[in-house]
Amino acid sequence: MAKIKKKERPETLIPTASMSDIAFLLLIFFMVSTVFVKERGLNVTLPRAAEIEKIPRKNAATVYVDRYGTISIDDMVVEIPQVSIIMQRKLAENFNLLTAFRTDKETNFGIMSDILKQLQEANALRVSFEAKLKR
Amino acid sequence: MQFKNKRKNLSGIPTSSMSDVAFLLLIFFLTTTKFDIKKGLGLVLPPASTQADKKVRLKQENITKVWVNQKGQVALNEEIVPLNELESKVRNIVLENPDMVISFKTDRQSKYDYMVRVLDVLQAAGAEKISLSTN
Repeated sequence: MAKIKKKERPETLIPTASMSDIAFLLLIFFMVSTVFVKERGLNVTLPRAAEIEKIPRKNAATVYVDRYGTISIDDMVVEIPQVSIIMQRKLAENFNLLTAFRTDKETNFGIMSDILKQLQEANALRVSFEAKLKR
Repeated sequence: MQFKNKRKNLSGIPTSSMSDVAFLLLIFFLTTTKFDIKKGLGLVLPPASTQADKKVRLKQENITKVWVNQKGQVALNEEIVPLNELESKVRNIVLENPDMVISFKTDRQSKYDYMVRVLDVLQAAGAEKISLSTN
């Protein structure tokens, strides 16, 4: 009886030498593309809403208003009469300015009303009220 | 006399675990990265009333009044309406008259949360012309 020759199988191997290169590439990509939030802002609890849309980061100027009525723009605490001047300056820099409000849901609307009036005076009419998605 | 050849240890950095380290870092960055996508309710404010040339006179029949008091109750054309009925009522009004402008007023003592909730409902009802009054 003839001896059946054992078929020699080619060794199957996944080349792992370049694995770390891929991983490092991805790592560097994520590290570079991560944008850190520059503003510290104020501690606010946002209201919830269903009809929310994305706010373009480029044109947005964030105004923080906390529950005690403290207003913060660019990490500077400002008083209501100053808002108009600051927003005018921002509008001069970017014509498509959109003011994004990060206001605490417990804030009195009176303060918001005063700020909105300041925005009207500055002619910065595009606003957005930031909210979390209602579930 | 024959000297025994000293056996040199092969010097090398173990690279087999390199990919493990890289992937670990990658996963760390992937999970800790928080994308700061802002979302909110967009609105365009009416221009300041001091700009006389931009002042728009509206016919009385083209104005729907929506008021929010300090308790969060909503009045539609001076009649108190529950929040869950507001959407269908406003939708009917807007469908009947596409030129309808909603004059939206909120009490100064009211919470910002109530105002956002009502604004959300108004936008959900398809109202496009919302005039946010500052008083």
